Amino acid sequence: MTKNVVVIGGGASGIEASRRLRDLGYSPVLVEKEDHLGGHLASWNRLFPQMIPAKDILKSLTSDMKGIEVFLNTEVISINRLKDSYVVKFSNGLSAQVKAILITTGFTLFPAQKKQEYGYGIYDRVITNADLEAWFNGNKDKRVTDPQVIGFVHCVGSRDEKAGNRQCSKVCCATAVKQAIEIKEKFPDAVVYCFYMDLRMFGRGYEDMYLKAQKDYGIRFLRGRVSEVSEDINGRLVVKADDTLLGKPVKISMDLLVLMSGMIAPESNMELSKMLKVLPGEDGFFSPANAISNPTLSNRDGVFFAGAATGPKTMPETLSEGRAAALEIDSYLKRVGD
Amino acid sequence: MMHERVFGSFDLFVLPFLVGMVFVLLFCLFGLLRILYQLSREERLKFYASLLNPANIIKNLKDIFFDCLIHVKLWRRNPLLGYMHSSIAFGWFMLIVLGHLETWFYIPERMELIYYPIFFRYFMQVSGTTVGGALFFFLMDFFLLVVLSGIGLAVFKRFRSRALGMKRTTRLTLLDYVALYSLWLIFPLRWIAEGFTAGVAGGSFMTVPINMLLSSFMKNPENITIAWWAYSMALSIFMFSLPFTRYMHIPTEILLIPMRNAGLKVRRHNKGYALAQLYSCPSCGVCIDACPMGLHRRSADATVYMVRQFKRANQARSLEIAEKCLMCQKCSSLCPISIDATELRLAFRSRQKYNILPDFQYLKRYLALSAEDDSAYAQAQNGQTEENSSGNPVMAVVSSIGSKVKSIGQKIMSLGSSSKEQQENIGSEKVLYYAGCMTSLTPVVRESVEKLLKASGVEWSNMDSGRSICCGRPLFLSGKMEQARQLVEANSEIIHNSGASILLVSCAICYRMFKEKYSLEGVRVMHYTEYFNELIKEGRLKVKRSALKYVYHDPCDLGRGCGIYEEPREAIERAGHLVKAGKERKESICCGGSVGSLALSYEERVHITEHSLENLTVNAPDCIVTACPLCLTTYAKQSEIKVEDFAQVLVENLK
Repeated sequence: MTKNVVVIGGGASGIEASRRLRDLGYSPVLVEKEDHLGGHLASWNRLFPQMIPAKDILKSLTSDMKGIEVFLNTEVISINRLKDSYVVKFSNGLSAQVKAILITTGFTLFPAQKKQEYGYGIYDRVITNADLEAWFNGNKDKRVTDPQVIGFVHCVGSRDEKAGNRQCSKVCCATAVKQAIEIKEKFPDAVVYCFYMDLRMFGRGYEDMYLKAQKDYGIRFLRGRVSEVSEDINGRLVVKADDTLLGKPVKISMDLLVLMSGMIAPESNMELSKMLKVLPGEDGFFSPANAISNPTLSNRDGVFFAGAATGPKTMPETLSEGRAAALEIDSYLKRVGD
Repeated sequence: MMHERVFGSFDLFVLPFLVGMVFVLLFCLFGLLRILYQLSREERLKFYASLLNPANIIKNLKDIFFDCLIHVKLWRRNPLLGYMHSSIAFGWFMLIVLGHLETWFYIPERMELIYYPIFFRYFMQVSGTTVGGALFFFLMDFFLLVVLSGIGLAVFKRFRSRALGMKRTTRLTLLDYVALYSLWLIFPLRWIAEGFTAGVAGGSFMTVPINMLLSSFMKNPENITIAWWAYSMALSIFMFSLPFTRYMHIPTEILLIPMRNAGLKVRRHNKGYALAQLYSCPSCGVCIDACPMGLHRRSADATVYMVRQFKRANQARSLEIAEKCLMCQKCSSLCPISIDATELRLAFRSRQKYNILPDFQYLKRYLALSAEDDSAYAQAQNGQTEENSSGNPVMAVVSSIGSKVKSIGQKIMSLGSSSKEQQENIGSEKVLYYAGCMTSLTPVVRESVEKLLKASGVEWSNMDSGRSICCGRPLFLSGKMEQARQLVEANSEIIHNSGASILLVSCAICYRMFKEKYSLEGVRVMHYTEYFNELIKEGRLKVKRSALKYVYHDPCDLGRGCGIYEEPREAIERAGHLVKAGKERKESICCGGSVGSLALSYEERVHITEHSLENLTVNAPDCIVTACPLCLTTYAKQSEIKVEDFAQVLVENLK
C-alpha cells in the first residue's frame, strides 16, 4: 500500500501541509487547478501588519518541494470511497488510492460587480482590493492614474445578507488599512477615505497599524456605508454615503474607489462536498466536526480540512492549520494502520 | 286540472324559510344604508347620478349578469371551475325566476307571498299534461339538474381542488361550513320534496325517477311534510348564516358593481365602498394560489384572509397582512370580483400613526430660492471636493435645515436652469430623463439609456443626475400620502419649469407614480420600453437581431400596474428571439424585491425570487430581460443565467 495523501488546493495551507507530510514520511499529491502554486498569496503584494512581501513567504514555502507530487492545471474529477480508502481521479488522467484526503480549497473573492451600486466594471475608476494588489505588484492599470481623492469601501459582499453572505471576511479591515497606507505612500498628496461599518482590528499589531494610518498618514475613517456611486460629466466618481457618527449624509467626488471584496466559498466546494459526502455550511465553507477542539477534522474518516476551506482566516492561521492537519493525518494513518 | 292544494295558501313549514328570508332582507337593507351613509356627499351624488345614466344602467345589468350569474372570469381561469360556479348561481337564479313565472302564470294573486313561488309545487296542483305545464316541469327539472351537477362538482372540489385548477383553497370558518353544508343540502332536499308532487300531479325527468326510486318512502303521505320541512329548514339555516359568511357576497356584489361603475374609490379600508368590497369577497381562494408569498405553505397573508381580518376588525393581524404584501397586484388581477386588494391595504397603511414623519416642506423653499441665482452653486461646486449635501430628501431631512437651505436650494434648481439652457438646442420633442433612485443604484441602466438616446440622436436633459428628488412612490406605498404629495409637487414644478414635452422614465416604479399620481399637463410620461420601441418603429433607433434567446419578465408596476405588456416584447423581438415564461403578463410572478412590502423578511423574499426565476427559465432562455432596475438587482443576486436590463439588451444589439 502506498503512503500517498491527496491534498486538494495548492494555496498556502496546501503547500505547508504537503511539506510537513513529506517530512513525516508520506508522499503527498498536491493538486492545483491553476498553472502555479500559491493561490491568493501569489497575487498579493505585501502582508499586514509587518508589511512582509508575499513573494518572500511564497518563496520560502516552495523552496523545498522534493518528494511532493505536484499536479498543476489539474482538478479532481471523482472520488470513490472503498472500504477504508478513497480512489481519487484527476483531470490529467491519473488516479490515486489513498487513506487520507486533505481539503485546502481556500476561498474566492466576492465578485464586486454583484454590488452594482458601486459601479465595478461600469465606471472607469472603480477597482477591487485584488486589482490594487496587482497594481502594487507592478501591473499596469489605467484606472489608477494620479488619483487626488481615493476611497476604500469596506465589507463589499461580506456581512451583507442581501449579497447572500452574512459572514465577516475577517481580514479585509486590516487589508484596507494596509492598502490605504500603501497607496498614500505612492500618492502622498492624495486624500484617502475609508468607509467602514466597524473596524475589526483583532490581531497583534493591527490596532497599531490603524492608529498609524490616522496619525502618520492622515487617512480619514468615515463610519457609514456607501449608498451609491455615480459618475459626473468629467468622469470623476461621486460617492454618496452616510456618516453615522455625524448623522449626516455626505457626498464626495473621487478619482479612485477601491472595493474591499470579501471572502466567499469557492463554487467548487459543492461538487467536492457531493463527492466526499461532507456537507458545507450555509455559507458554503466546510464545517469541521468540532470547530473548537480540532478544526482540521471532518465528520468523515480520512477527510481533513485546513486553511480558509473552513472559513476566512489570516495567513499565519492558515499556515498553522496546514501543519496541524499534517500531524492529524499522520496520527490517523498510524491508527488505522497503513 | 289545476287548483290550490292547501287551504289558505299557508303551511307551518314555510315559517323557517320566511323568517330567514325576512332576516336576510332586513340585514341587506341595513347594510346598504350603512354603506351609503359612510360614503362622502360627493361619492353619494356621483353614485346616484350614475344610477340614472342609461348607458351605465345597461353596463351595470350586463356586468351583474356576466359576473354574478355566469362568472365569466372563472370560466377563463378554468372551465370546470367556471361551470361549477355558474351552474349553481345561474341554475338557482333560474329556479327562482321560473317559480315566480309559474306563480304569475297560474295564480298571480299569490305573487305577494314571498314564500309561495319557492314552495309552489307544494301549494299548487298543476297537471303536466298541458304544453305549458310540461314545459314548466321540464325547465324546473332541467335547472335543478344544472344546480345539482354544480353541487356535485363543489363536493368533488373539496377533495380534489386541483382538478378545478386550484392548488390551494381557503380555510373556511365554522359558520362558512354551516352555510356550505346547508347550501349543499338545499337542492337534494328540494329534489326529494318535489319527488312527492311528481307522484300526485306530475313531474319531469328528474322528479319522476326519484319518486319511483324512493317509492316506499314517497308512498307514505306523512313523509310529505317531513320533506318540505327539511327543505325549508335547509333554506333557513343558509339564510340565517349568510350575513356572517362568505355567501354575503351574493347580495353585496349586486351593489358593488354599480358602485365601481360609478367610479368610486377606496378611501377608508372598511368604510363605504371598501366595505362593499369586503363583503363582496366570496373567499373563493383564487388569490391564495396567485400570491407569490404563499409558495411553500398555505399563505395566511393572502387577500382572502386580509378581507376576513378587516371585517373582524382584528387590528394586529390586519396590520401584519397589510404591511407584508408586496403590492404586486396579482391577486386583484386574477380575482373574479376584481377586489382592489392593494387599494384596501394602502388605505389601511395610510391610517397608521408614525412617531416620526418626514417633512418635505423645505423643498418648496429650495425651489423658490434657486430661482434667484445659480452662480453661487457653481462656485460652491467647483471649490469643494467634499460636500455635505443631500441628494436624497429622505436623508436630507435628517440634516439640519437652517443654514443649508440656501445652498441646497440652489443646487436643486441648477437642474431646472441647465435644462432651460438646453431648451433652445432641442428640436420639437424635449425629452427630460428621470432615472430615479433605483436606477442610480444600477448604473448600467442609466448608462444604457444614455447610449440609446445618443444613438438615436435625441437631445435630452437629465432631471436627476447628482441631485434627485424621489418620485414619492415608496412613501405612497407606505401610506405616507402627505409626504408623497410634497415630493410630487416639487418634482412637478421641476418638470414644468424644464419645458419638457416627454418625461422619460427607466424605472417601472417611478413610471407608475408619474402616471397615476402626477398631473403633468402637456407632458407625455413615457416608460423607456414605450419610448425606445417607438424610436425603433420610426427607424430612429436601429437594432439587429441576435441569436440569443431572451425571456421577458413583466415588472408588477409596469404590467399589471400600467398595462404595458406589448412594447417591451416588440422591441426585444427585434433584438433577439423571445421565449415564453411559465406564467407571464397578467400572471407574471413578482421578483420578490418589491418596495411595496414593509415587513417581508429577507429569507421570504429569497424564496419568492427563486420561484420567480424558476418560472422565467422554463424555456431555457440565455438571458432574462426586465424593465425595472429593482427586478434587475433582485434577480442578478440569485440567477444562474444572465440578467439584463431592457436598455442593456438594445445597446448590445445596436446596429
